[in-house]
Amino acid sequence: MTKIDIRFVVNGQEAVGAAEPRMTLADYLREELGLTGTHLGCEHGVCGACTILLNGETVRSCLMLAVQADGQILQTVEGLEEPDGRLHPVQEAFSRHHALQCGFCTPGFLMSVVEFLEEGATTDEQQIRERLSGNLCRCTGYHNIVRAVQELAEHQS
Amino acid sequence: MSYIGQRLTRKEDNHLLTGRGLFLGDIRLPRMMEAAILRSPIAHGEITRIDTSRALEIPGVHAVVTAQDLEGDIGPITRPFYKTIPEHVARETNLVVHPYRAQLLAAEKVFRVGEPVAVVLAVDRYVAEDALEAIEVEYEPLEPLTDPMSAMRDGAPQLHPEVPGNIHCSFHTGSGDVIAAFEDAEHTMSTHIRVGRSIGSPIETRGVVAEFDRSTGSLSIWATQQKPHLLRSYLSEMLGMPEAHIRVVSPDMGGSFGGGIYNEEILLPFLATRLKRPIRWIEDRRENLGNARHTRDQYHDVEVAFNSDGTIVGLKDRFLIDAGAYNPFVITLSYNTAAHLRSEFKIDNFDVEGICVLTNKRDNTPVRGAGRTSATFVIDRIVDMVASRLGQDPADIRRKNLIPGEMMPYDMGMLYRDGGRIVYDSGDYPAQFEKALKLADYESFRAKKLAAREEGRRIGIGISAHVEGSGFGPHEGATIRIDESGHVTVHSGSNPHGQSHETVLAQVCADALGVTPDQVTVRAGDTDLIAHGGGTFASRSAVTAGSAVHAAAGRLRTKVLAIAAGILEVSEHDLVVADGSIAVRGVPDSSLSFADVARAAAPGPGSRLPEGIGPGLEETDYFVPPTVTYSSGTHLAVVEVDAETGMVAVLEYYVVDDCGLILNPTVVDGQQHGGVAHGVGNALLEEVFYDESGQLLNASFMDYLLPTAADVPSITVEHETHLSPLNPLGIKGAGEGAAVSPPAAIANAIINALEPLDIEITEMPMSPSRVWRAIQEAQSVGD
Repeated sequence: MTKIDIRFVVNGQEAVGAAEPRMTLADYLREELGLTGTHLGCEHGVCGACTILLNGETVRSCLMLAVQADGQILQTVEGLEEPDGRLHPVQEAFSRHHALQCGFCTPGFLMSVVEFLEEGATTDEQQIRERLSGNLCRCTGYHNIVRAVQELAEHQS
Repeated sequence: MSYIGQRLTRKEDNHLLTGRGLFLGDIRLPRMMEAAILRSPIAHGEITRIDTSRALEIPGVHAVVTAQDLEGDIGPITRPFYKTIPEHVARETNLVVHPYRAQLLAAEKVFRVGEPVAVVLAVDRYVAEDALEAIEVEYEPLEPLTDPMSAMRDGAPQLHPEVPGNIHCSFHTGSGDVIAAFEDAEHTMSTHIRVGRSIGSPIETRGVVAEFDRSTGSLSIWATQQKPHLLRSYLSEMLGMPEAHIRVVSPDMGGSFGGGIYNEEILLPFLATRLKRPIRWIEDRRENLGNARHTRDQYHDVEVAFNSDGTIVGLKDRFLIDAGAYNPFVITLSYNTAAHLRSEFKIDNFDVEGICVLTNKRDNTPVRGAGRTSATFVIDRIVDMVASRLGQDPADIRRKNLIPGEMMPYDMGMLYRDGGRIVYDSGDYPAQFEKALKLADYESFRAKKLAAREEGRRIGIGISAHVEGSGFGPHEGATIRIDESGHVTVHSGSNPHGQSHETVLAQVCADALGVTPDQVTVRAGDTDLIAHGGGTFASRSAVTAGSAVHAAAGRLRTKVLAIAAGILEVSEHDLVVADGSIAVRGVPDSSLSFADVARAAAPGPGSRLPEGIGPGLEETDYFVPPTVTYSSGTHLAVVEVDAETGMVAVLEYYVVDDCGLILNPTVVDGQQHGGVAHGVGNALLEEVFYDESGQLLNASFMDYLLPTAADVPSITVEHETHLSPLNPLGIKGAGEGAAVSPPAAIANAIINALEPLDIEITEMPMSPSRVWRAIQEAQSVGD
């Protein structure tokens, strides 16, 4: 199958390559760019493990084609940490509150929470729960994820 | 200082938070082929023709494998798992099992939708899936068995020739004199209870990577596997290779709530040895929902005998499990249900019969809770029904029947599956119960409920309690080594998939050895690390691996002290160890580091070993539990029911848990939260539906609903700790218990919310349509 040239910025770096038109963005990030922090849990847009930021907004990278990312600005979980290894405040809060167990859904949650905070998150528990309901976690029961987000939101406000 | 009991932040977090985890799908090897599996589209039928020629013509397809290609080279799975059941258990429980052969790829017949028929190996998954569509298979459909009752009837189609009447296995056991108890009781009552089929659903799907090294003739396998050593053993037998030539690695795993050994984990490594190229297979979600093994799916006919004062004097249960097409765990699930059916209650007269019936569905095997969720749903519904019949508060009926604290340890009068007698080893159930009621403010709930009713809201409260035989054997090991930099490495045979072994086992090791957790690295999930291993299941790791680490570290400390005493020319009794340094008591500048001792222990001319002590600082211990240890918990759920729609919202949730010694409270509480959420899913949302032709109707996350953050409430957890006498630290399991009680607590709360309507709930999950129907039925009776 013919490949199509694509070029985009991911985590501040330009990525130049080519992908078959049918290749998903998630597969391209993982298999072609080695950004395996973006996980695939359902490949039909429900679980949210593959959530990344596209021009600052969350998208399911399993529901996008790689070619659709041409010319866009992407951020994945690998882009959260500072170059010197300091964790992003959301990552720190997740660790402090034991908001991850197996860690498979975590990258998707982190990206969703980053967007949530950028928008000016509420500290209201029910609203936080509604907002997080686009990401599935089978280990934590969400309890500590909600606590981490509440603390981040309180800090922000 | 003691590190056990501290809320240490987890060692495993950093790599998982930064995208540096190594999950199965992240493994990519040179020359790797990707596999896709063609699965049966029908539930029961004969394969009359397979033509792979068109698939083989697709560029990028390397091979297409069918059962024909395996013939004479690798056999079906015939390992007699049932032989792990001790003989006296089989005898005393009247066990009957009919072994059968489980094919790796369907040869002549398919027994369920999703059964593997062919494997494609191609340059990538896209091409491999293209090729699946080009394989032509013709089937002659046979009558599908989708209902276990019909599967048992005379003249029903026979699935496996070795299993007469499709009844794969059965047992019948009990305690006391149930006949006399029923004759003497003032009341009896019977009911039918149904527990729906659900799926473990880890967020990572299953997968296998296999690589055959042609120069050494050895095989490496990476698999999403809870029991890597068991997989190695299967592979060794079926591939005819020495265990030493097989390495099984369970990398980071995205959850795993049950499962066992799967065909793909045998088949793909086998193909890697034949095709001499690495292979990767990762299932998609549809495959996972249809082919990762299912669970629960039970039908109970229960009878209870009780007196007017609320004392339950006898219990009879004859239940049936819809086991699906194969039943690899034999009586694991059904016997777990029987063993836990009486929960925390003193019901000495007991009779239980469990049978596993084969149908054309996916296998029914243990998933978090493993038979206990069903058992607890049954008994806690029964207790509330007794309360309702007698017009008493369900809390009072429980008070009447809980095993009193002073009667512990309590012998339940039957055997556990591991061969031990069921003797609840520790705990104080009434204390746990009262603590939970206080936590939930049960006494003032009636007033709250009335106030809510004034506003037109229907809220209710429900109780459930459970016990869990945890820390299943037969063994778990640890090897601990101190290297010449002074760093400590623990190799564990129990591998985690979210349970925080790296942190918790480091805490145990640090205390026993006299170092800080920072000085300890825990490694697990690799058969090359330790000769024997069990894995992580049955809430066993803290109990078994924790005890092994404790013992091995203790022995290593003794050796460290002996060597240090020789160097410092003092008695071992004069030495103190803390944070990785050894000093003579009262002489702080005399200290030696663990690195000093490790160098002194190294073989060779620089060695400073006392006479009679061998070189190296390494110890291995295998903990062999005498039997399981019984953790327990009491749960209260507060729900709101919308009587117009049957929708149920869980508003509050309370847990009082007894898992013995708590190694890390943050980790234990996290296990409770996750278990409750799983239980809420089982209670309200999760159910697998097959139609009459055996098609799975809801194999996507759009249709099979997992609980989201909006479906689960905030969870309040407290502990009522009683140490187990069955292991040196007093640990009891914490992984599964919290998933056991929610369906029962929520069912009882729904009924409470709808009072005075006399609602009957005898089926889980309590989907809106079922709750709505129950309301309609109760109203029509009332009219």
